[in-house]
Amino acid sequence: MRKSLDYIIETIIFICGMLSIIFVVLIFSFLLKEGLSFFKDFSFIKFITNQFWYPNSKIPSFGILPLICGSVLVTLGACLIAVPIGVMTALFISEIAPKGVRDILKSLVELMAAIPSVVIGFVGMVTIVPVVKNIFNLPTGLSAFSGSIMLGFMAVPTIVTISEDAIRSVPGQYKEGALALGATKWQTLRRIVLKAAMPGIIAAIMLGIGRVIGETMAVMMITGNAAHVPHSIFDPIRTMTSTIAAEMGETVRGGMHYKSLFAIGLVLFLITFIVNFIADLFLGKNKNL
Amino acid sequence: MSKIEIKNFNLYYGNFHALKDISISIEEKRITAMIGPSGCGKSTLLRSINRINDTIEGVKTEGEVNIEGVNIYNDNVDVDFLRRNVGMVFQRPNPFPISIYENVAFGLRVNRIASSKEIIDETVEKSLKSVLLWDNMKDKLHKSALTLTLEQQQRLCIARGIAVAPHIILLDEPCSSLDPVATREIEELMIRLKDDYTIVIVTHNMQQAARISQDTAFMLLGKLIEFSKTDKIFTNPSKKETDDYVSGRFG
Amino acid sequence: MKNLVYCFIVFVPLFFTCAHDNKAKTNSIQIKGSDTIINLIQVLAENFVQSHQNLNISVTGGGSGTGFASLINKTCNIAMSSREIGEEEVVLAKQNNVEPIGFKVGLDGLVVIVNKNNPVSKLTLAELRNIFMAKITNWKEVGGQDKTIVVLSRESNSGTHMFFKERVIRNNDINSSDEFTIHSLMMSSSQAVYDEVLQNPNALGYVGMGFVNNKIKGISVSLDKNNKYVYPTADTIIDSSYPISRPLYLYTDGKPKGLVEIFIDYVLSNEGQKVVIDTDFIPLKKNY
Repeated sequence: MRKSLDYIIETIIFICGMLSIIFVVLIFSFLLKEGLSFFKDFSFIKFITNQFWYPNSKIPSFGILPLICGSVLVTLGACLIAVPIGVMTALFISEIAPKGVRDILKSLVELMAAIPSVVIGFVGMVTIVPVVKNIFNLPTGLSAFSGSIMLGFMAVPTIVTISEDAIRSVPGQYKEGALALGATKWQTLRRIVLKAAMPGIIAAIMLGIGRVIGETMAVMMITGNAAHVPHSIFDPIRTMTSTIAAEMGETVRGGMHYKSLFAIGLVLFLITFIVNFIADLFLGKNKNL
Repeated sequence: MSKIEIKNFNLYYGNFHALKDISISIEEKRITAMIGPSGCGKSTLLRSINRINDTIEGVKTEGEVNIEGVNIYNDNVDVDFLRRNVGMVFQRPNPFPISIYENVAFGLRVNRIASSKEIIDETVEKSLKSVLLWDNMKDKLHKSALTLTLEQQQRLCIARGIAVAPHIILLDEPCSSLDPVATREIEELMIRLKDDYTIVIVTHNMQQAARISQDTAFMLLGKLIEFSKTDKIFTNPSKKETDDYVSGRFG
Repeated sequence: MKNLVYCFIVFVPLFFTCAHDNKAKTNSIQIKGSDTIINLIQVLAENFVQSHQNLNISVTGGGSGTGFASLINKTCNIAMSSREIGEEEVVLAKQNNVEPIGFKVGLDGLVVIVNKNNPVSKLTLAELRNIFMAKITNWKEVGGQDKTIVVLSRESNSGTHMFFKERVIRNNDINSSDEFTIHSLMMSSSQAVYDEVLQNPNALGYVGMGFVNNKIKGISVSLDKNNKYVYPTADTIIDSSYPISRPLYLYTDGKPKGLVEIFIDYVLSNEGQKVVIDTDFIPLKKNY
């Protein structure tokens, strides 16, 4: 009786595990099938180096260089904002804040993570965009910079929660060891705690970047969606994700435009894969030190 | 004058009265052992001497701990400077997850004792030599400290304490996670270090206390029961509780 | 593995098709397409249903392209559109044995809007074209302040975008392949265009008649310097003196039959055209 129950539960777990693998494989093969069929008719090199994205023209031009630049720029900007704030907040919550403050801050950060991105996008559109325009005296506040602030804000909860776990799980004996050698609290945090928590913090940053790269709605509302190669962070930009989201609904199924959007998805997948790969390399190196 | 003089010292963890009116004088350049059953407060007392207990929430103290005549619980005491002068080695070896070299250099860097590479190199070498790690490690200085054996890790922890030139070294059951051979080695190291440092060691191992210490304090339930020369504690204790404990009737 | 992929690809769409076939047999009309006129058609449908019991009309948006795609897939009875059907779509329709037939149901004027504080209030079609192609980039070139023009457009596959491109940028020349400047900001909705113009004195965009109110400023447009500048109103759109206007369409598969025919007749009736006026669009003729 107990044995057969064991067997049933094992089977269920096995099926669930297999299902998630199958779904990933199905999604990926679908993406691959639709995306690759685009490159039969259009060269990959041209796709990623051409500067013009006019998918609906009579002679369509599928150049996603501006979209790649847009995604990269807004992601870098968001990281510059989110990483210091996120890691500092995590340090503050786990090491410095008194217990009462810590609990309030933690639940606030978790609440922040629960705000839907459309809402953040809308709030950003009516608050950040005009402020950015006025402060920097720009023609329009719809820019990569506004997008970076907004996305940074969205990545902060992810980075805080996961780095806080990493920092908290640094053994207390490291801290005691450092303090016992006469290190100040800040020296202990910076030289020992942060160092020991680094793999976890990097994982947190990677997940944060993942959220930023994948974000669509908020970006679409704030960055201005101009498909040109930006010259500065204050230019309007268009990202790969918002292009897919904005145009997929209107394309002719099976047409070139439709396939090109899948091809963008494929390029996006490639980029995130490379980023993760580099992070893994970095983590591996850190371990073998 | 005694090196460390503790007067009417009380310590509370929240409402728990962990140390009860302790008074004790510890002499310079000797090994003083603290023994007693688990939970008697011997580790707590040791951790009060460099105020590392401050990091635990809800700790309150009363009374004085004087080191060279200065009460370290005075408000104007620089705790970081105090800890630099009172080294500590913990129960479980806790080298930092960085290289062997950086472990020893850590104290020098954070206390700004040395910044030139030559002086740091020199101090690292001297410290590792004094714990007999140098010959084995001089070619592996930039490997992670976590690759060492437990005994080597504990030696490294002692070396990194010595590097900042403290007067006092506190050891909290330093051999409890080591095998007998390694324990023997660390004990010999302590006996050698005694000539230059004042050493206080907490141990649950009475033979160890008997082997290496000159003075022994016996504690029970947060109270100091008896403090005297080690020979006297183990052969002719004046309190009945001490006699019961050292002869193995409880504990 | 390969089989599994095929199963997935074959069965999932099949499932949805079946579901739709069943629905179409009951008394229901599925209408899909342009977000521009969804409000208008929604009101028309609600009025129509009141006088026809056991009838269910569902109106969903998604854009003109989505409407045509559904008509071609036979997942809707009527496609709403703010543009004429494209060549590519006609070809696809033929392959699926669908014969799209269009009905003009009203007119829509596109109004070029600027912030209230912008001194510019009239432009020629050529100036508009040059602005939207970034040949004019500063307001002072058209009589305004020395500020960069922020060009707002709609997403490249919205009917509004296509119409504006064909009428203004390509000047109705079907052989032209001119495009909006790559520096134009592609806004996801007319509301977004309106919002940006409302708070940005440098912005210029285009929206449907329904979005114009006294918080922003509509631009009078002329064919060229020698013609009169015409402000977009119902009258100037019906008499075609305002140049940027477009018809709105309903498309059916083949000649409409049964309830679909009755519904389209209703839309074109006097009663239906009154609704067109009420929802801020322009009727086909004056004097309704």
